[in-house]
Amino acid sequence: MRLLLVEDDPTLRAQLRTGLEEADYTVDEADNGRDALFMGQTESFDAVILDLGLPMMDGLSVLKRWRDEGQTMPVLILTARDNWHEKVEGIDAGADDYLTKPFHMEELLARIRALIRRASGLASPVLQCGDLMLDTRAGRVTLQGQTVTLTSHEYKVLDYLMHRPGTVVSRTELTQHIYAQDFDRDSNTIEVFVGRLRKKLPSVQIDTVRGLGYRLTPP
Amino acid sequence: MKAAWAQSLRFRLLAATVAGLSVALLLAGVALGSLFRAHVLKQFESNLTQQLDQLTARLEFDAAGQPLIDARTLSDPRWQKPYSGLYWQIDEMTQDGQGRTGVLRSRSLWDARLDLSADALGDGAIHVHETPGPQHSRLLLLERTVQASADDQADDKPTPQRWRLIVAADLQDTHQAVTEFNQVLALSLALLLLLLSLAAWVQVRMGLKPLRALQHSLQTVREARSPRLQGQFPSEVRPLVDDFNAVLDRNQEVVARSRTQAGNLAHALKTPLSVLDQAAARPTSPADASLARLMREQLAVARRHIDWHLARARLAATQRLPGQRTEVASTLAGLVRVMGKVHADKGLQIQMAPADAALCFAGEEQDLQEMLGNLLDNACKWARTRVTVQATPIPGSHPALLSIHIEDDGPGIQTDHLQAVMARGVRLDESVPGTGLGLAIVKELADLYGGQLVLAPTAKGGLGATLTLPAAG
Repeated sequence: MRLLLVEDDPTLRAQLRTGLEEADYTVDEADNGRDALFMGQTESFDAVILDLGLPMMDGLSVLKRWRDEGQTMPVLILTARDNWHEKVEGIDAGADDYLTKPFHMEELLARIRALIRRASGLASPVLQCGDLMLDTRAGRVTLQGQTVTLTSHEYKVLDYLMHRPGTVVSRTELTQHIYAQDFDRDSNTIEVFVGRLRKKLPSVQIDTVRGLGYRLTPP
Repeated sequence: MKAAWAQSLRFRLLAATVAGLSVALLLAGVALGSLFRAHVLKQFESNLTQQLDQLTARLEFDAAGQPLIDARTLSDPRWQKPYSGLYWQIDEMTQDGQGRTGVLRSRSLWDARLDLSADALGDGAIHVHETPGPQHSRLLLLERTVQASADDQADDKPTPQRWRLIVAADLQDTHQAVTEFNQVLALSLALLLLLLSLAAWVQVRMGLKPLRALQHSLQTVREARSPRLQGQFPSEVRPLVDDFNAVLDRNQEVVARSRTQAGNLAHALKTPLSVLDQAAARPTSPADASLARLMREQLAVARRHIDWHLARARLAATQRLPGQRTEVASTLAGLVRVMGKVHADKGLQIQMAPADAALCFAGEEQDLQEMLGNLLDNACKWARTRVTVQATPIPGSHPALLSIHIEDDGPGIQTDHLQAVMARGVRLDESVPGTGLGLAIVKELADLYGGQLVLAPTAKGGLGATLTLPAAG
């Protein structure tokens, strides 16, 4: 899952990035409103963490522009201002959740997980496909009750597919959501990760739809 | 202390106008009355003069030098009628003043006589007197002295005889005419005074109309139906209205600025606090762990202090400014949208009873949001499946009040803890995130607006919060 982290304080940004990456998210960063607007317009993100007090263009304006242009990715507003007036403003501008500083990393992670899950139309934090279970809270994968150990990239691919069971996901889409923008992307590596997943999860059906991409088919 | 009516501008203006008018009309009445009286008397006198002239012309002397008047030649019939009110008389004047009075008299005098003291009159001069007449009347009397011309005189009389001719008329009719005129005059002037006073009243009313409009406008501001003085005012009142509006604007500006500054302080402090908190969350060595724990504890304390004092700063900036109104229904709707997102995972049903769109809180929008936001957030945090919200005006309350009731179906709070939970920083359940300031802030804000917050268990065991606040008309 790929996140856009927009925060102008460099220390806090670095800390958040570390925390998010430890939870197996791919993180792109922006430290001002204008860059954030552009990245949101051109790249595909699974969720955005948006600080409101930003240089160049404030967070609310960025958010309104995105929504006006039809961008639907879930957005979590992160702000020091905790009065209800601004919360109403933020939600009415199109935000999906609101977190006030200071906060605990666990709280942020829980909210991001919930946002992504809701955006996929899933109700439970534990994703299930046949006898394969993925607990998004703990980042744990079990097959027939047995814990399966996955690398970070393998987990990201499986996580993305399990959020969209039955739909065809293109290689480009997978690449975009697994690597950050500045990463040297090679879609062939996706093939390698899918191959490894098929090996580690023999009873799970990951189809290759030629010319289109991959599909996780529920039994 | 003066009576209330004496303080009234309208009364003062009206009293001054009526007093002025009364004096002016009284003077006019006196002047007109005396002018008329003088004119009537003059007319009366000139009529009498004509009668005297006629009498003089009819005067003849007999051979003995005695005066002779042929009564038939005098045309006025009143000469003949006894006590008719028109009389003549001829007296003999002697040097020693012992002349005979009433040598000749009109028939109308009957057996009365006009007594007049001797008066040294030049030839042909007329003297006018007012004297008592027969039958208690007042007479205007004209006298003239004539001398029998030499050829009328008997030769044996060395000195020429002097005769006094008197004409008199009763003044009663004249007096009556003057009295009648004065009565009509007084009546007319009284009517005029009444009409002018009425006009003055209309004028004062029209003139003071802008003041009434101003008073009305002030009332709308006081009753929070309008934030400024509205309406067209004449140029004399306009500066006052403009100044007053400027004061209102300035008040609002000061409040807005204090709030922004409190918010800026929050922003400035909370980002570094977040950084410290994140750093303390990941100690790099076991030695750091205890330091990290201490930091997190102290950071939590610092956060609560900041939240509380920021809330206090906002409260301090909250003045009950006149003229503020906030729609309850739309404020609630906005907050319910926030709750729907922030508590989306719980799949709560937030039921809002349709509130009257015109129901308004007499205060600032941000304050209402702060109170309702905290109450709703609290309810959503504890509710199992459902939160209900109801906003209603309290009928018959004066000043007008409204009540907002928020209920959840959560575990509720034991009755003996209900008071404690409104104290600052009290958290009955530490497992749910929060600062424990929410209800305390709501209570303080409600108190500030003269309202109140009442917590009570609901019939189903949840918590019901009832917020009573001033309503805007």
